Amino acid sequence: MNAALSQRETIFVEEAEILAHDAHPGDQYTLRLQAPQIAARALPGSFVHLTVNAQRPMRRPISIMRVDAQKGYVDLLYKVFGEGTALLAQNGIGDTLNLMGPIGKPFEFHADKKRPLLIGGGVGMPPMIFCADVLRQDTNYQPFVILGSEVPFPFQSQPSEFMVPGMPGGVIAAMPLIEQWNIPSRLTSTQGYPGCHDGYVTDLARHWLDSLADEERHEVEIFSCGPHPMLEAVARLAKEYDLPCQVSLEEFMACAVGGCAGCVVQVQTEQGPAMKRVCVDGPVFDAYAVF
Amino acid sequence: MNHDELELLRTDFCGMDFQTPLVLLSGCVGFGEEYTRVVGYSNRDVGAVCLKGTTLEPRLGNPPHRIFETPMGMLNAIGLQNPGSRQVVDTILPELDFAETRFIANLSGSTLEEYVEVARIFDDSPIDAMEINISCPNVKEGGVTFGNDPEMSARVVAACRAVTDKPLITKLSPNQTDIADNARRCIEAGTDGFAVINTLMGMAVDIESRSPVIGNNQGGLSGPAIKPIALLKVHQVYQVAREHGIPIIGQGGVNSAEDAIEFLIAGASAVGVGTALFYDPLICAKINAGIVAYMNRHGLANVAQITGSLRLNDAGGSCS
Ligand SMILES: Cc1cc2nc3c(=O)[nH]c(=O)nc-3n(C[C@H](O)[C@H](O)[C@H](O)COP(=O)(O)O)c2cc1C
Ligand code: FES
Repeated sequence: MNAALSQRETIFVEEAEILAHDAHPGDQYTLRLQAPQIAARALPGSFVHLTVNAQRPMRRPISIMRVDAQKGYVDLLYKVFGEGTALLAQNGIGDTLNLMGPIGKPFEFHADKKRPLLIGGGVGMPPMIFCADVLRQDTNYQPFVILGSEVPFPFQSQPSEFMVPGMPGGVIAAMPLIEQWNIPSRLTSTQGYPGCHDGYVTDLARHWLDSLADEERHEVEIFSCGPHPMLEAVARLAKEYDLPCQVSLEEFMACAVGGCAGCVVQVQTEQGPAMKRVCVDGPVFDAYAVF
Repeated sequence: MNHDELELLRTDFCGMDFQTPLVLLSGCVGFGEEYTRVVGYSNRDVGAVCLKGTTLEPRLGNPPHRIFETPMGMLNAIGLQNPGSRQVVDTILPELDFAETRFIANLSGSTLEEYVEVARIFDDSPIDAMEINISCPNVKEGGVTFGNDPEMSARVVAACRAVTDKPLITKLSPNQTDIADNARRCIEAGTDGFAVINTLMGMAVDIESRSPVIGNNQGGLSGPAIKPIALLKVHQVYQVAREHGIPIIGQGGVNSAEDAIEFLIAGASAVGVGTALFYDPLICAKINAGIVAYMNRHGLANVAQITGSLRLNDAGGSCS
């Protein structure tokens, strides 16, 4: 059956009030929006398509970082990148933004892959945080989170209370929210931030993978979101260790419902190369099909 | 909207019964089902939906980036990504709900023969009408290279005319010297209607990399930025088309009921909405309501009374 036909009425349009809008170093902002319909249905990997300002009527896709289905809000993290996001940053508490969501095919967890490795880079961190929030609610999983950033992290890091095998000496910085969830995390940067691993997310992932016993390593599945070169490196790492790997991609979007084919990425399929729409065929793809 | 209001919007286009004068434009709404993902959206809010440009064989389309926002508009160079006409007729059309609206195929090709083959395939299908896209700026062959040459435009129209009795709508390019002359030739060649205008060719440059942002280097400009150009072209084509009773789907930057009414006044019988759907997926219901309010305010009984009601200023120049 036509994929779209089975998905009638799955994307909601909400006039969402801004509940919080906080600036962080490096032109990063966290945004909390009242959008109960979207909050009730979003999954890790889902994004919203939002109107930033009447002067720039084209919407911007932004991944969802967290939802509270009870209170009906969604949290987003974005970085000012161009005129659209600069205008978005000017909105204040009490203003409303028009949101479409939740959109996209989410990450899929597999019960036999008990050790999800979540790797997020820059504004690719949010979907990893959403993954961690969902995984913490299922005792089957023992996730480990690695976050990398070349601008200051949009949160105050803290020394981790968890021992993580394979971590080089001094690599102790963690994200407080994820610590609260009893999930170990570590941070990386080449900017020399204290407690962070000096290098790339994939270097730290390698340390961790090497420290695992073979049976443990067979239980790892990698989930990742971040800049394209980082995802390429993550995909290479997955191949090297022969691990399954799902990546969430970004592309400019117009409709975000599958109607314009403006957001495609080339993937390998059994029938040969194909152009898949990041908005509705993704944003989550099998890394082996993309890279 | 109540029954009487719905009746006001009912519009005849090339013998087709459009429940409203709005038409969703090719390339913006996939193959007719995509926008139904959105709660509150309905294909019943429009008179017709134009499907994505379809070629004989499947096409992968252009490399990314394919779209980019520009001031009050956007560039696109999709490159006619589509699964091929056979696939559209065999697997997509059977899943469309023809009770909801009229569906129009968008015929595209690189050669005259390809247009004809695609027209033949759609002729033997439940599709309501066909739009001949001789104005796509984003492919190397065919498309706008045919549309900018009146002789070639007429040949494509005549060749498609020979293989189908379904309504044929010719989609004209704004990227040509004399759109009215082209329209005249297409009428002689047997077109039943026009779509005016397709996108204008444009470019955007990334000043850091010094490369065009669009993978295909150039793209088609759409959205509110092109509306004044589109309005004048509709007016010019209407001068030629009205004496033959050939209706026009006016399009290019429609983003409100007021925009739609401007196009009707300039000579359109129906009005296309493309880029504005990206801004607001629920816009069609709002445009319908705005047109009804206008009609009530002016005591109008049907949309056709607005079509071509433009009153030119006596002191002004001619618009051709
Ligand atoms: C993303 C995109 C894809 C398009 N693809 C097609 C196409 O396949 N065939 C066609 O005839 N026109 C195509 N068009 C042109 C539109 O149908 C329409 O004529 C044009 O965008 C002007 O209307 P608008 O300003 O309301 O979008 C496309 C436009 C956009 C924005
Ligand atoms: S943005 Fe239109 S198909 Fe993805």
